[in-house]
Amino acid sequence: MRIRRYIILRLLQFVPVVLAVIVINFVLIHLAPGDVAITLAGEDADPAYIEHIREVYGLNRPLHEQLFSYLGQVLQGDLGTSFRSREPVMDEILRRVPATLLLVGAALFISVVLGTAIGTLVASRPGSSIDTVASTIAIALYSIPVFWLGLMLVLLFAVELRWFPTSGMFSLIGPRDPVGRSLDIAYHLVLPMLALSTVWIGQYLRLARTAVVQVLNEPYITTARAIGFSSRRVLLHYALRNAMLPIVTVLGLQIGLLLTGAVLTETVFSWPGLGRLIYEAILTRDTPLIMGAYVMMSIMVALASLVADLVYAYLDPRVVL
Amino acid sequence: MSARFIKAGLGALFCLGTATAAWAETTLIVPITSEPRTLSPAFAADTGGYHPGSNIYCHLVVMDWGVTQGVSSYGDLAKSWEMSEDAKTATFHLYEDAKWHDGEPVTSEDVQFTFETILEKKYPFAAYLSNVDRMETPDPHTLVVHLKEPDSPFVAMQAQAAAWTGKIYPKHIWENEEGFDSGAHVNEPIGCGPFRFKEWVRGSHVELVANEDYFRGPPRVDRLLFRFISDANVARAAFEAGEFPYLPYDYAPPLAELPTFEADPNIEVILADSHYGRDIYLNTKREPLSDLTVRQAISYAVDREEMNKLAFAGIWRPAYHAIVNSQDKWLNEEARFPDYDPAKAEELLDEAGYPKNDDGWRFKLSVTNPNFSDCKNMMEVLVQQLRRIGIDARWDQYDGSTWYDKAQKADFDITCYFVRYGPDPDAYREHFSTGGARNFSGYANLEFDRLANEARSLNDEAERRKRYQQMQALLVNDLPYINLFNVSQPSLIRDGWSGFNVQPSGFNKSITWFGHYAVTPPAN
Repeated sequence: MRIRRYIILRLLQFVPVVLAVIVINFVLIHLAPGDVAITLAGEDADPAYIEHIREVYGLNRPLHEQLFSYLGQVLQGDLGTSFRSREPVMDEILRRVPATLLLVGAALFISVVLGTAIGTLVASRPGSSIDTVASTIAIALYSIPVFWLGLMLVLLFAVELRWFPTSGMFSLIGPRDPVGRSLDIAYHLVLPMLALSTVWIGQYLRLARTAVVQVLNEPYITTARAIGFSSRRVLLHYALRNAMLPIVTVLGLQIGLLLTGAVLTETVFSWPGLGRLIYEAILTRDTPLIMGAYVMMSIMVALASLVADLVYAYLDPRVVL
Repeated sequence: MSARFIKAGLGALFCLGTATAAWAETTLIVPITSEPRTLSPAFAADTGGYHPGSNIYCHLVVMDWGVTQGVSSYGDLAKSWEMSEDAKTATFHLYEDAKWHDGEPVTSEDVQFTFETILEKKYPFAAYLSNVDRMETPDPHTLVVHLKEPDSPFVAMQAQAAAWTGKIYPKHIWENEEGFDSGAHVNEPIGCGPFRFKEWVRGSHVELVANEDYFRGPPRVDRLLFRFISDANVARAAFEAGEFPYLPYDYAPPLAELPTFEADPNIEVILADSHYGRDIYLNTKREPLSDLTVRQAISYAVDREEMNKLAFAGIWRPAYHAIVNSQDKWLNEEARFPDYDPAKAEELLDEAGYPKNDDGWRFKLSVTNPNFSDCKNMMEVLVQQLRRIGIDARWDQYDGSTWYDKAQKADFDITCYFVRYGPDPDAYREHFSTGGARNFSGYANLEFDRLANEARSLNDEAERRKRYQQMQALLVNDLPYINLFNVSQPSLIRDGWSGFNVQPSGFNKSITWFGHYAVTPPAN
């Protein structure tokens, strides 16, 4: 009962958050120089046509009026129509979600699982040479710009060795049957996923290591050891469970940014995902699409932090919601 | 050993999928920098849309890189045309066997309907039809266009713009729509061009297939795909990995790296000329550039040779006339921008009342550019050259739409630009006639305007040349701009492929400079 009330309260908090996101972004977009109507009509356009576009898109109305009518729309669940493609913003966004989810989801899964596992392992021997090597590599990986890493992977594995395709999500002249198509997508997924998870894995490795080392110094671990539990059981059963808390927090934050966390990777690999869509929308001043994307993102972030808090409560009995 | 094993394994996995279909047909994949907005290119600026659009739709008249060898226009749907003696009536005779992709015949009524809609809706191409008084279609394959004023470059000027927004739309499909921007066919286009629309996978590519019934005969590639790759490094990597046979100059490698590609026997490097130049606009409405002597000083301060070496590895050709090489039949040899002479530049600045202050500077100046790599490279050098003569020049960079906004509002001192000299020299008007659409430097010279209007109304080439040469002399004297370079853009083509629009084998038959009708795959 308490939990349900908590969730409802937290969901209600979304409303002011989303409203604030809309207002702030609306103001920011309109502070940026550049005229949407000219961008849409083209440099050669007749002034009368530019005027016509302003009218059709409602750009000639006062700003506060545009803002209020947009807020009204969003409250009815309508994100409007893209300036650029003239298609509903919701359709544009939803069409790109699967590609991004696949890429980011796969990369996140690999980096969390591998990072935590390696971090936990090295934590059991803090200060050893394996620990030093792993920690150094982790920091190095974490500081690699993903754009550069992506290009290097492409040059090595796609241009030189020709093991993998350079970019895209499927072969343009490839198979069309479901099995062939899935294999083809998996084949294209390898490099971008490798680039993303290489950069992310360092973060989870460091996090897991630090958390586990800390927990291993707690008196209750000494007690457990004294009782005679195997060091494997102590590490996995008693230490890791408590060490999961900070990992869940970071994971929650990252899942919130899941949809847009891969703009650069999507650009390097020409991956048809959401990040690139938003990036292009910003370049072309496609206000409804940018706003729509921000609304979706803010909802995602809020949802993810809610879920992270719930998981936290489950993992840590001391936390009362 | 293990690497080979992995490779074999992956290869096998991949082949599982592909083995089922035998790909005897030829596919051409062309990378393009941005995704189309829609597949109806008539109604707005759409950099990505021109590529598929130009291969799906027909045009009345077009031009391509053949313009760099003097062909200012050729017919697409128009088999031939005549301009009347008084340059006020153009009569077009259309090909009789052209068909829409749904099988209906293409008639002069379709052309009239398209042009009337464009004019009514004031779509971008209307700028090239604004002189049209009325049109007639005496029979299904003849179109007579009556002009309000004599306009001999009417055909040539619309031939270039057709590649962007001058597509011909089928009347039977669009007549009940409100303009060309709504309805089911915006993204399921029906044209009469060499390729039919098949599929648009958002974020990935647009696929076209050969139109077997094309009135010039079917194209030699069976499928044409435009892949969206925004990053130049990525496109180059894909080209080097052999994923497509043609790397357009939008993704050009730095000129300094060209020798590497030239040494590769499997790659042909094409340096394409242009009828655009690279130049700087000087804002004649703003202090201190409003002073002619200051503009003259700057024209002496620019060292094109040094700029060429630093920005273009010495490969571009400096331009000293108010025209580019590819249009030299209109050239006025005498009208020449000055050679580099920094001492003279400093002398002129002193004379103009801008001596060096105690801090060593004469005045501040902002230099900017549209967001192109060549302009960026040039302006970076220019800033240093100006600083050498005591001008405290600052380099300001903006994104594309901000730059354009500033250019239009004349909110700049010096900006890199790209004056267009063809397909017909009538193009001077938009850059330099009073109030011209691209006259960002605020140049206003009644004599220039008069000559431009006269040249436009004349049909006789020698008479027109005389006036364009006088106009070049005025530009070199008044310096609203300084021409710096002839453009040379490198494209890379895999061995065996021919007929790409930048290759001489594709000149005057590509159907627009986004067209791939002339492309011929390697024979094997």
